[in-house]
Amino acid sequence: MHEISLVRNIFSTLEHEFPERMDKVRGIYLTVGLLTNLHPLLMQSAFDAVLLDEPRYNKTSLHVKVLPIKIKCAACGAETEVQQYKFICAECKTPGNQVIQGEEMLITQVEFEDTE
Amino acid sequence: MSQPKSNRAPVGSVQCENTTLNLLKANDFVAKAIRDRLAPHDILVLNICSSPGSGKTTLLQETGRRLKDTLKMGVLVGDPETERDAIRIREAGIDCLQIVTGGMCHIEAQMVLQGLDHFNYEGLDVLFIENVGNLVCPAAFDLGEDYRVTLISSTEGDDKPKKYPRMFLTSELMLVSKADLLPYVPFSVEAVTQDAKDINPDLEVIAISSLNGAGMNEWCKWLEQKVAEKKKAGIEA
Repeated sequence: MHEISLVRNIFSTLEHEFPERMDKVRGIYLTVGLLTNLHPLLMQSAFDAVLLDEPRYNKTSLHVKVLPIKIKCAACGAETEVQQYKFICAECKTPGNQVIQGEEMLITQVEFEDTE
Repeated sequence: MSQPKSNRAPVGSVQCENTTLNLLKANDFVAKAIRDRLAPHDILVLNICSSPGSGKTTLLQETGRRLKDTLKMGVLVGDPETERDAIRIREAGIDCLQIVTGGMCHIEAQMVLQGLDHFNYEGLDVLFIENVGNLVCPAAFDLGEDYRVTLISSTEGDDKPKKYPRMFLTSELMLVSKADLLPYVPFSVEAVTQDAKDINPDLEVIAISSLNGAGMNEWCKWLEQKVAEKKKAGIEA
């Protein structure tokens, strides 16, 4: 998998977004959908590994939240949380692949130490 | 024993910034650049995915032999190392550029965009991007393609769609390859089709054998139809 490059990606995204405040970043919160195959434990290990190379982020912690897969039914409009990768509407049993949740790979929150 | 660094609690008071920064933003941005660059040329772009050894390169060789007089084809082929696939594809008479990913498990849009700098795509009807053999990581990376075609070979087992759902969810066509071996292996085309359609009801399925030619006419027809649709959309736009 590509967890290490994703973690590097997180830092470069944040460095681009918050160039003045990166020495104060303390917490990074990710929200990832189940379909991304990103496992929180592996992300954590990759994060620790990248920190060995990037000691300036030693005070930063990573938090990963996983979202289940949800689909919206094209026939009846109902939303279903997909279990066991069965993409079938829970209400009317129509198969569907209109994913409305589960493909996210987002940085949802960043915490910075308050200097004042 | 000290705690892992990443588990350390933040010290002092904190300021929170809520964001919606997408970790794949960079890739998606480049994928759009690829689409923009190819748009004036009306080239059908296919992202060909599968496990290693499912027959992607053999399929492209055989497709080249069959359609070289009707379609102008080009291939960007990704592998962690070596130029072996590009050599095989060129032997079939198709222009091909090898993308060596340097150990990486998937092609990213940036590699394709750079590849286009070194590849003459003008006048092509179809550009195949042969991805690194892997059913997991390539599923997450848009390469600017029109369609994703995923191969599953009869020898790797019919349980793959349920194991690697995202790949089959994001594909438009599933090719069951090595169909010539179906009599010898415990693989059910019906079962694999059912499993794949549970995940993606719109998925089309064709069983093919690049070696004995089974299903190849149907695959070539699919390809020619998509090329025609692409050109028609280009004219209308």
